[in-house]
Amino acid sequence: MASLLDHTARGETVGYSFSQSAAAPVKQHGFYPYTDNGGSTLGITGSDFAILAGDTRSTSGYNINSRMVPKVFKIGGDDETGEGAHIILSVVGFAADGNALKERLDSVVKMYKYQHGKPMSVSACAQRLSTILYQKRFFPYYVTAILAGLDEEGKGALYSYDPVGSYEREQCRAAGAAASLIMPFLDNQVNFKNQYIPGSGEGHALEAKKAEPLPQDHVKQLVRDAFTSAVERHIEVGDNLQMMIATKDGIQEVYHPLKKD
Amino acid sequence: MNHFPEAWGRPRDDVYGAYNPSYLQTTGPKAHTSSPAVTGTSVIGVKFNGGVALATDNLASYGSLARFSDVKRLRVFGDKAVVGFGGDVSDMQYIDRLLASIDIRENYSNHGNMLNAKNLHTYLAKVFYKRRSEFNPLWNHVLVAGYDGEGKPFLSSADLLGTTFSAPHLATGFGAHLAVPILRRLFPDEKPIEEVTQEHAVDALKQCLKVLFYRDARSLDKYSIAVITKDGIDLKENEQIEGQSWAFAERIKGYGAQTN
Amino acid sequence: MDKLVAQYSRPPHQNEFYSEQEQQDLTESLPPLSLKFAMPPVDNSASFLRAMTDDHSNPSCPIKLAHGTTTLAFRFQGGIIVCTDSRATAGNWIASQTVKKVIPVSRLSRGEDKPTKDPTPGLLGTMAGGAAVSLIYSLMGDETGDEMEAGPEDCQYWLRYLSQQCTLHEIRHKRRITVAAASKILANLTYAYKGYGLSMGTMLAGVTPQEGPALYYIDSDGTRLPGNLFCVGSGQTFAYGVLDANYKYDLTEQEALDLGRRAILAAMHRDAYSGGFINLYHVKEEGWVHHGFDDMNPIFWKTKLDRGEFSNVTSEL
Repeated sequence: MASLLDHTARGETVGYSFSQSAAAPVKQHGFYPYTDNGGSTLGITGSDFAILAGDTRSTSGYNINSRMVPKVFKIGGDDETGEGAHIILSVVGFAADGNALKERLDSVVKMYKYQHGKPMSVSACAQRLSTILYQKRFFPYYVTAILAGLDEEGKGALYSYDPVGSYEREQCRAAGAAASLIMPFLDNQVNFKNQYIPGSGEGHALEAKKAEPLPQDHVKQLVRDAFTSAVERHIEVGDNLQMMIATKDGIQEVYHPLKKD
Repeated sequence: MNHFPEAWGRPRDDVYGAYNPSYLQTTGPKAHTSSPAVTGTSVIGVKFNGGVALATDNLASYGSLARFSDVKRLRVFGDKAVVGFGGDVSDMQYIDRLLASIDIRENYSNHGNMLNAKNLHTYLAKVFYKRRSEFNPLWNHVLVAGYDGEGKPFLSSADLLGTTFSAPHLATGFGAHLAVPILRRLFPDEKPIEEVTQEHAVDALKQCLKVLFYRDARSLDKYSIAVITKDGIDLKENEQIEGQSWAFAERIKGYGAQTN
Repeated sequence: MDKLVAQYSRPPHQNEFYSEQEQQDLTESLPPLSLKFAMPPVDNSASFLRAMTDDHSNPSCPIKLAHGTTTLAFRFQGGIIVCTDSRATAGNWIASQTVKKVIPVSRLSRGEDKPTKDPTPGLLGTMAGGAAVSLIYSLMGDETGDEMEAGPEDCQYWLRYLSQQCTLHEIRHKRRITVAAASKILANLTYAYKGYGLSMGTMLAGVTPQEGPALYYIDSDGTRLPGNLFCVGSGQTFAYGVLDANYKYDLTEQEALDLGRRAILAAMHRDAYSGGFINLYHVKEEGWVHHGFDDMNPIFWKTKLDRGEFSNVTSEL
């Protein structure tokens, strides 16, 4: 704390109390354990459903590894197809970490059902996912996760995460390579940000449009629009759009083709 | 923790030392296989109706030196799966021993070795991922070919980081740049696997190996090829790239001391 | 040396898969009660973590955690005001505008984050610091059996851990924990993890029979300070400017609420890493009261047009 008062320690140009030599520091290791497999995911909730979507492209650098690597998974189903699941998870970032995380959460939810004799609620699963991510606080999973399902009242629930487990329940969230392209679109089209009621006033009196849950067909169209647009402007997004829709009847999975260039 | 507004919440240099970007690079002295020594180049694989074909050349390079020219990089597991290895040869041999021990263990059980290519791929990917998490990677990029649990042709990739992906045709290393475009042209997405015959697939692999031999300086014209069908695995390990034409080389100008 | 010997003397293949214990840890449906973190297998794990996540030293670092914030709390004659912004940034990207940075701590604060007339007993914690994107908890242990679960990242996670400890304290001692004791648990914890690379600056506020209104500042260096007034985060200086100019202990309740809101508004206006919604709480003897999670934009224009402040900004649209 004493050095806080020492103003020479301030800032990055003024000088460090620690000498910052131009020579590279001693290297003790030589393995970089991460890679970025690109792609993008997106989730939107409604009054009685939650949709998670992702493209199916897997990249390394400028190479396309494969055009069919799903990013959205059913969690806690009865078998490897995910039949009987009621929670969905999307992961984007480093695919191997994403896969490890998905398998871990899947087994946790299965164990919960086995040990407690009832399915895990989405809110409990959301909290558990957060602790799983935080347990690797010092060696993070390089992934952005989104968890979705229906809450206790049957409303769509969606939780978004940062790589070390801070999370928040939201109406909508885009993650991954094209998050910065899709999220502003979602702010405007789902939360009606910067939309005003025409004729409600002049200047500062103009009244903002209130966000309300959207119908399922409308949300599906928004998801498709978000991805077809992202494909136009981001090289790591494309090939196919995978969409999972959680409703009270279970989880439905659909694919749509995207541009393959 | 830094309390100044512009860097609030970030680590302080006087507490943590200067920012050390060397963690972001894959360089430096070796503790384990932190960079490979003797390496194999591309592995390429194609699915066809009723099976999968997989090929590698027989070279193990030591940097730019073509060190060993008779190293077999296709490894048969059980009677329905083949693994093709790229990357470090010593790690390949380690995995080979690992797979041998699994094969022996499975064969001692009363059901025999039931592991199919999909099971094998899942296992290998987990071994890779665990080793990368220990910062002690197995420096390989492998393709696993065979059949999945439903008896459908299976082809999937796993690398030193534990990254996995699957596609109707795959190539690792230099092949990802040179062979994949050829394979995508020969077998476009619209053409289902059912329309790809075994001959098509094998011809395509040979064509890819030839192009790789032309342009990949770490490749060889002796290769191994495995064709996995319901009848079993047909592994040929001493093949020679045929029909080479170096005529195109004459027209290449502008390298090194050559000026016109 | 032992490590080296162990590495090269192990029999081949023996460790090629997860041990029984590791497999069990990976599939445990409840998180472990004791703290257990996976560390990167390098000699200097904090340096590794920093290389991956310090977006200030290296704007193109691979893992961008959410940062940036303004939070404040001050004591006055009517209790304690706690006020925060709601923005989380990852580099220049605004990761979220709806972060709930005030977290109820201790089990008795079974409140949901709705504006309510009835005060909710318990302590409040604020979060500022590394990856402070987050969620509001209702700390209700419901029938899903998740009350043993700890929470998310740095502030979020450790305040959740703290509320777990506070609950245990209540069960053991049959009375609520004091703010002093709760803050000490947190400070001991952050001190134990000093040098690991945690990033949090938090304030604990509560009113207890033993202490009256009590306010503590705790950060990831292990610092723990009691005080009347704290501002924490990248926008702290702007908030301090407003707060110091207008603060006095004898503020009325309405004046205190307005001052808290106005100080955060100033920080949101001048600090690019702060913004979004103004989250305002009042802690008093009976418990805490939520005074809204309000969009800053209309409040800004109201402050400007009605009170003539922010004259640096034109009122033309």
